[in-house]
Formats: sequence, structure tokens, C-alpha cells
Amino acid sequence: MSEKPILSVKDLKTHFDVTKGIFSPKQIVKAVDGVTFDVMPNETFGLVGESGCGKSTLGRTIVKLYDPVSGSIEFNGQDISKIKGSDLKTFRKDMQMIFQDPYASLNPRMTVGEIIKEPMIIHNIYNTDEEREARVVELLKIVGLKPDHIRRYPAEFSGGQRQRIGIARALAVNPKFIVCDEPISALDVSIQAQVINLLKNIQKEMGLSYLFIAHDLSMVKHISDKIGVMYLGHMMECGPSNDVYHRPLHPYTVALLSAIPIPDPEVSKAKSRIVLEGEIPSPINPPKGCPFCTRCSKATERCHNEMPQPIQVGNRQVSCFLYER
Amino acid sequence: MALLEVKNLSTEFKTDQGRVQAVRDVSFSLNQGEVLGIVGESGSGKSQTMYSIIGLLAENGVVTEGDVTFDGVDISRKNFKTKKAYEEAMRKLRGNTMAMIFQDPMTFLNPVLKIETQLIEPLMNHTKMTKAQARERALELMRLVGIPSPEKRITQYPFEFSGGMRQRIVIAIALACNPKLIIADEPTTALDVTIQAQVLELIDHLREERDSAIIMITHDLGVVAKLCDRVAIMYGGKIVEIGTDKEIFYDPKHPYTLGLLSCIANPEDDDEKELTPIPGSPPDLLNPPKGCPFVDRCTKAMRVCKDHMPSVTTFSDTHQCACWLNHSKAVK
Repeated sequence: MSEKPILSVKDLKTHFDVTKGIFSPKQIVKAVDGVTFDVMPNETFGLVGESGCGKSTLGRTIVKLYDPVSGSIEFNGQDISKIKGSDLKTFRKDMQMIFQDPYASLNPRMTVGEIIKEPMIIHNIYNTDEEREARVVELLKIVGLKPDHIRRYPAEFSGGQRQRIGIARALAVNPKFIVCDEPISALDVSIQAQVINLLKNIQKEMGLSYLFIAHDLSMVKHISDKIGVMYLGHMMECGPSNDVYHRPLHPYTVALLSAIPIPDPEVSKAKSRIVLEGEIPSPINPPKGCPFCTRCSKATERCHNEMPQPIQVGNRQVSCFLYER
Repeated sequence: MALLEVKNLSTEFKTDQGRVQAVRDVSFSLNQGEVLGIVGESGSGKSQTMYSIIGLLAENGVVTEGDVTFDGVDISRKNFKTKKAYEEAMRKLRGNTMAMIFQDPMTFLNPVLKIETQLIEPLMNHTKMTKAQARERALELMRLVGIPSPEKRITQYPFEFSGGMRQRIVIAIALACNPKLIIADEPTTALDVTIQAQVLELIDHLREERDSAIIMITHDLGVVAKLCDRVAIMYGGKIVEIGTDKEIFYDPKHPYTLGLLSCIANPEDDDEKELTPIPGSPPDLLNPPKGCPFVDRCTKAMRVCKDHMPSVTTFSDTHQCACWLNHSKAVK
């Protein structure tokens, strides 16, 4: 059975020009540099990586907040990497985003009702205000808030509740796909689980697909069906989450996973960690070969000179020469 | 004798809305070479407890009650006649025998001063070193925390360092005078996992080498499991449970501890164990509940919990918990 992916990203590149002054040499940040992956309907694709690896840029490029330099983004069989105007508007109705900071992503001068209603007005979903209002009440119930919260302002809510408002806003236009950009990293542990469970329930009920971006590997593993590991703008490894977690192939994935602190004192204190030396190189002057070669213990001459292409190993895609046959 | 002994510490903040009781009757002790983890959600009072101990409370904060003994000396505020005398005494301690590592290395370091100036400052203030000696010591410290080519790096400014490197500098400053106690307030929260692993490794290594006591304030139970010998769980300004790492993780007695442990994902677990979130949100410390602070979110709450503060039950020399469920007369 081959189901068609809802989102198919091929060799996507997003670059930023950061040249200072008109006479200086051109400087390009290759934030996303040739990323390929698919997301199936009803699936959660988790995107992990350290800060500066381009995971948020990738998410924002997919919802078309940034324009890609090259490559294609196919959503529901349509290439959306170059769409503009009214096509873009229709597309945005199907793809929504939940942001990291629940304090900055809600307008403090709008009531909760106005915030959730706004996307419906923009996309002309309901004809009358009564219908919209009824839908807002329904959405508030779905995300676990009370109908009488509708006239309140964001300042009156806690971080977890605000994130729920953000989720209600994303759901307002009945999207098929939601990009969640670190939706839980600003929340307390006990509240994180509430939001994660809410996202899972909504997915089950409405048949949504998620692109879940986070740096908390344990939570990503928990919510995702598939995981993609990014490093310096490249997808290093991507595959089913249990496989990636228990049998990581790429040396970077191995190191990254061994760095997660396990909440169990006996396991954690006994666990030997592969402590990576150094830090992520600057994306302005990335290494010529494999982006990870400067910190990799298994790097060879070839890794420093040649960029490994993604290869299929079983059900997984790995960009490393170690697995070439 | 314990290195640090805190007894019945309470701290209040005066605000326009009234008095916020941030720390309520907190007691614990810490021995030489021990790592104590203090775990709690934001607003649980974990940072304010520490600020009360080292005298760094904001202007509107007052320690209303309690004794703090550090290294055999009573350093509670009420032991000093004037505010000036207290601050003078605390200034001699801070950065010397008692050091702090803060969460955000960018705001802790002064952006317009060279690393050198910031590293030798505690040495010049607390020891009789000459500037040349202090510089020598600063280079030694930078080597100790693993900063490559310190001779070159010492003349640079904070912005030239990455997040992980900055946190190393902050740790180096804290270590400058060989402190007996290091208080680390979420030292790795702002860092990436691989960098976090490096910093935790460094802290662990330093502890073994110098036998300093460390108080680790964090909300990450993974970090606690990795590093701490003992753990205190704070909620609503109170320590609700305290014990060794194994007692807390394998035999939790307080429903809140249990709740915390079951709402985090353990990546070692194979299948989709459903996370059990704790419903509701933490209490408002402006008007904290009369009884147990956790009563509104607790699934096992009884009538007594609402009106009476739970008494402390002792399970072992190290393990204590404040919950009515453990009372001898409670229905099991």
C-alpha cells in the first residue's frame, strides 16, 4: 500500500544574504541547504537539532514565511514553493503554525475571541458573526478552555493556557497540516504534558499531520512517528522514531542521543556519554565536506572534501559515507 | 557538621496586590561535597530560596523568618543590626566561599568588559593577589573549564564567545576563589543538549576534584538524575519532599513528585506510554491555600488537606515528605 505523502520536500534550500555593506564580500548563511523528506497524512514528523541547525527556518519555509532559493515543497500534490497571491492564501488555510513563545505570538490588545476569530474572517469561512462566535466557543472547549474566556485578554492567562489559545487559533480554519515550532519549550514540565496530550488528541480526532520542531529529544520521540535529525542545514538522518532512537546510524545522531539526560538516576549515572568536542561551525563558512566532519570521531579524509548524499538504509535515510556500499 | 543549614526560611515580596509568600518555611541542610538538586516549576520559589540565602533578593523582598548557617557562621539577616552590615558581610562571602552560576550567561557577563577583567575581579576583591598573579590564575581557570587557547581568548569580549563557552566563563568566575558552596541556578537551561552534556560533565568533574558542595536549581529531572545525590522537590514555596536521588525517583511519596515523574517522557521507554499530565496550574502565592499547596491539583486530596498544612513524615534519615497520605491515621 503506497499512500501519498501530504507534504513532500525535495532538496530544499533557504539562504540568507548577510553581506555587510555594499563593498564587502558576499556572505550567505545557508540556513537550510538541501533537505529532503516526506510527511504522510495523520503522521507527526519530529524535527530535532541544536540551535542554529536550521530547523525553525525549515519550518518557516514550509509555511512560506520565507522563500526558498531552490528545491520544491509539494503539499497535497501541488508545488507550493513558488505560489503567490490568492493561491498562497488558499494554501495557508490548509497549513497553520503554532509558535514557540506564547507571550509574543498573541496580540495583547485583542481578546481571545478576536484572536481566534481573525483567521476565520481572513479566510471567509463563516458568513455571520454568530456562526464564528459559536465556532470559537467550540474551539475553546476543544483546547480545554472555558467558553467565558472569550472576552478576556491574553495577559490574564498562564503560559500553558496561552499556548492553548495559539492552538485554537491554528485550528480555526480547519487546517490539514500544522507546523509546531517548539510549542512546549517555554512551558513548565507539568504543563508540557498537558499540551502534548492535547495535540495528540486533536490529531486523532481531526486527522491532522504535524511537523513538530523541538530541541527536547525525549518529548519529540514521544510524540513523533518519524524523526529527522538536522545539523547545519542538512538532514543527517531520518526515519521511524523508535528505530532512530534505539539504533541511530549517523555518528551525529549517536552523539546527540547519548547527550540526553535520562530521568532515572541508575541509568543516567551509569550511562557513558559521547561528549562531542567543540561546537557547531558557523553556517556562513560551513566545512567543505560533511557538515559534521569537524566534530566527528569517525571522519576520514573523504568526509572533509566531499559532501555525503542521503542514502537509503532499510527504512531510513542517512547522509554518511559509513553506510555506503 | 553540615556546610549549609537552612531552618524555617520564609521570604515575602511586597507588591501592589499584597504580599507574595514566595518561600514558606523551607528547611534543609547540605554537606561538603554533596550535590543537592532543587526541582520545581516556575514560581515554586526555588530561585528565591537561594537568593534569600545569599542575600540577593530584589528590593521588595524580605526574609521574614528563619536561620541560615553557612560553614559554622550564622548569616541570617536578623543576625545583623543594619542592612549595611549584612550586605557588607554577604559581599565578602559571595564570589569567595559561596559562588553562583546563573542561568543566562549573556546577561551575567558584562558585555563591555574583557573576559580578563571579569575573571580577575573576584580574585582582586577577595584575595591578596597581584594583578599578574590573578591573571595567571585566570588563565589556569580557563584551562580548567576547557576553553581552548586561553591566552588569546582572555583578551576577548563576551560577544566573541558562543553560549556554551560563555557558560564556561561564568563557571570559571564562580570557581575563582575555590568556593565551598556553588549555587547553580538552571546552569544549562539556555544551552543545547550536546553543550549541556559538556557543561554537566564539567560540573561533575569539578565536584570530584574539589569537593565543593553544589546546589543545582533546575526543572529538568534528567539533569537531576545525572548529577545529584539528593533531591528536594519544591511546590508553592515549600519543600514537599526531600530524599536521595534513588528515594525520589524510585520511591516517591508525594503525589506531586509522582505526578512530575509520570508527566515526563523517558526516551528509553519503548512504546507510547501515555503521559499523565498534572491538571490545573500552580497556586497563586499571593493567597496560598491554607492547607497543602498542591490540594487543588491533587487527585488524592482529602478534606484534611484543604484546611491543614500537612505534617512532615520521615521515612529514612534522608527521606522526608509533607503529605497527609503518609500520616499514620490516613486511610491506606
